[in-house]
Amino acid sequence: MVKEKMKEKINNFPGYLKSWGTTFIGGLTILCLIILTVIPFLSNDLKYVYVFLPQFTLAMIFAIFAASWDLLTGISGQISFGHAIFFGVAGYICAYFIDYQGFPTWVAIVLGSLGAVFFGLLIGIPCLRLKGPYLALGTLAFSLILLKLFLQGSLAHIFFGSEGISGLPSLSDDPIIEYFIIFIFTIISFIVIIQISKSKLGTIFKSIRDDETGADASGINTTKYKVIAFMISAFFAGLAGTFYALYNTAVNPTGNFGTLNSFFAILMASLGGLTTITGAALGAFFFIFLEYILIEIGVIEIGNLIIDVSLWKFAIFALILIIVVRFAERGILRPILEHLKDLWDVLMGR
Amino acid sequence: MGIILEVKNLTKKFGGLTAVNDFSFEIQRGEYVGLIGPNGAGKTTVFNLISGFEKPSSGKIRFDGIDITGLKPYKIVNLGIARTFQLVRSFKFLSLLDNIVIPCLSKRGKKVSKKVGAEAYASSILASVGLVDRARIPPVILPHGDLRKLQIGKALGTNPQFLLLDEPFSGLSHEEQEVLTELINKLHDDGVTIFITGHVLRELMTLVPRVIAMHQGKFIADGPPQEVANNKIVLEAYLGRGEGFA
Repeated sequence: MVKEKMKEKINNFPGYLKSWGTTFIGGLTILCLIILTVIPFLSNDLKYVYVFLPQFTLAMIFAIFAASWDLLTGISGQISFGHAIFFGVAGYICAYFIDYQGFPTWVAIVLGSLGAVFFGLLIGIPCLRLKGPYLALGTLAFSLILLKLFLQGSLAHIFFGSEGISGLPSLSDDPIIEYFIIFIFTIISFIVIIQISKSKLGTIFKSIRDDETGADASGINTTKYKVIAFMISAFFAGLAGTFYALYNTAVNPTGNFGTLNSFFAILMASLGGLTTITGAALGAFFFIFLEYILIEIGVIEIGNLIIDVSLWKFAIFALILIIVVRFAERGILRPILEHLKDLWDVLMGR
Repeated sequence: MGIILEVKNLTKKFGGLTAVNDFSFEIQRGEYVGLIGPNGAGKTTVFNLISGFEKPSSGKIRFDGIDITGLKPYKIVNLGIARTFQLVRSFKFLSLLDNIVIPCLSKRGKKVSKKVGAEAYASSILASVGLVDRARIPPVILPHGDLRKLQIGKALGTNPQFLLLDEPFSGLSHEEQEVLTELINKLHDDGVTIFITGHVLRELMTLVPRVIAMHQGKFIADGPPQEVANNKIVLEAYLGRGEGFA
């Protein structure tokens, strides 16, 4: 019975893909994927390959991270301000196993992600007694504790101190191959996260977000599902964390555990729009490239006033967040899609 | 037949206030019972205690021979007690269909829904509460009467044998009340035991063959509606003590 259903689904898949490709969202997704596939081959310039292209890689890593945050906060309604915990822990575990145990990179990535899942369980269980803003503060406190523990506590020397671990191998010496590895993992992660949010499990997550008491009264074990949400989210955050560690070929407390990473995820996901998942990717690309542009602009001189723009990036990020919250509280993805859809309809003559 | 719900010496204290005080009663399988009392009598607290949303200070609740005192709400639901809330609750960003799919995915709901699939089962429930033409819209834009129906639909998704209805008629027009009454009567005919509250006597009097009356957390009367309505203590509870009155 189940087997037949699966077979039927698999047989119908090419047809499904074909009809999906002709819909607006499907067409747009395929267009984006084609653009992202072509981008590495557009130029042979060294600066393009070694500086500009890695920005895309970085953006995709943060896209997975922001999407994992969106799954936990947007879909399941469990506000996390400490998502850097999973990001950092996974990075450290991955780095430790490569540098100190000589494990192959891929095994270390798996171990790092699973370590993050374990931390999701560890932090999920005590934190899920807290609700709403208190949960946000609880997770924030956890991430600060971990940061201090790794950075300057009396145990810091066990955890490699403020120097962290360096000298990791990168995913590939060729930035283009590294780009494609991350690209494939990003696609898989997004497909999985989106499918989860559309599945029955996702519906249960949303019901807990909308009305926890009501979900309880519907016979749903809310605690269990909240922990599951924490673990799934931690897995993808951890995956992004291991990639980030390998991207930088090093881990250190502030870079991987820093509260800033948690807020990056929040910024990116809320710029794109909560609960959209794909919005997280849009937000990630926006912020990573904004940062890149600000660094490229560097120092501006107006008369005898010298401004280093890259130092002002956080002020600019905060300003953007304020503007988004004020004028587009549902994020920018939905309005952009709506306008594009209108344009599409006009072009198709509808 | 036989006793389905047995409540013994139930007491709930909130700090210095005793909301439910040494409350005992029994309900037979398949009965249709009303719980009445003036505002603040403790009716909702009794429901919260039975459904597990609050833990009793003392006393025992047995359901179908199982001690359910202090169990978690979802466990009690999975034993077969479903409830609705006095204030309507819904998963406001999910469609009506998904609102009912959720209880169908509970442990108890799954047992009956997995044969046909949760969605098909949920839409059959939507049809039985008369909302099937609105399956795809979210509940935020529903009128109050339909929200009350949705509440009952959500409770039915868990395949209950015992239904706690907390003021299902509050805020409804006369026509809407009639539609809902018909729905509840039908459920009772299908064999669901129904325990229903209301603070307006007239509504319940015509509906149920037996009422339990409470006042300030205490049991005051139990019997057919007419008998309870003429009970002196009940009248005093509703109207206050007065000379030459009632």
